[in-house]
Amino acid sequence: MKDLIRIKSLISTEIEALLNQQIKKEAHSSSIYLSMASWCNRNGYDFSADYFFKQAEEERYHQLKFYKYVLDMGGNSISPEVTGIKQEFNSFREVFEEALDQEISVTQSIKNIYARCMKEQDFVTVEFLNWFLKEQREEEYKARRALELFEVIGEEGTGRWQIDKHVGQITYNSEA
Amino acid sequence: MITTITETDQWTDVFNTSAGAIYQSDAERCWYVDFAGKVAKFDYRCLLKLRKAVYHIDIEQVLLTSSKAPDVEIIFICACDHCYVLSLVQIIALKELLEGTFVMLELNHILHDRLCIIPV
Repeated sequence: MKDLIRIKSLISTEIEALLNQQIKKEAHSSSIYLSMASWCNRNGYDFSADYFFKQAEEERYHQLKFYKYVLDMGGNSISPEVTGIKQEFNSFREVFEEALDQEISVTQSIKNIYARCMKEQDFVTVEFLNWFLKEQREEEYKARRALELFEVIGEEGTGRWQIDKHVGQITYNSEA
Repeated sequence: MITTITETDQWTDVFNTSAGAIYQSDAERCWYVDFAGKVAKFDYRCLLKLRKAVYHIDIEQVLLTSSKAPDVEIIFICACDHCYVLSLVQIIALKELLEGTFVMLELNHILHDRLCIIPV
């Protein structure tokens, strides 16, 4: 008896489901970043708004990367429904705290898929995920650095204006 | 749609219970589901959709509900020629049949996987 499922799809249904979950997570991330950009813009933090617009675009790019991978492997990519996006934040600092939480949750989720792939010996998907792990290093670094600006500069006086100016300058260029 | 079985020698029995059976046709790259008095042809996508639809039914919930509505479920799969109208007992039987089938297909996959490993 031929292995018909394998002929049709390189990835197992479990991995496919996990990847679809990740597609949804990335779409959710992208939307949250957009709402953060909107909040920052409304409150006069122009550089931070730009930073979050860029982040939203990156998350969208990640989503499409997963989306195309599932299709290329013979799976079914599901266009996600994104609901329940928080639109209001209590403070400038809270926006960045949530951005870091968001990135940590994405890293955890990718680690979870990675673990499942190792269990199934799906090395093709493992290789695909390696790019994302590296990307998460950068994402978490940037989010952490942004939050640290609140400690380094302080929010008093023109502190928030300074923080906003420096957020746009955060870059990650580790060769490691 | 009722199809008469004319040639079964090219079909491999994947899994069967007293309620029905699922066969695989290597030549046509599809499965035949013999259940509820008909034999229906399913390709890879449709078989997965059928599984999803059947697994999605909350049997416990249907059992506990006290409404007067008959416990009949209509399983309609998008882009598939077949439709099932099943009682709760039949749904349980179909679920058992599909679970067994997917275990067997997984087992077949493991066997293929192991046989393909080139001995060093």
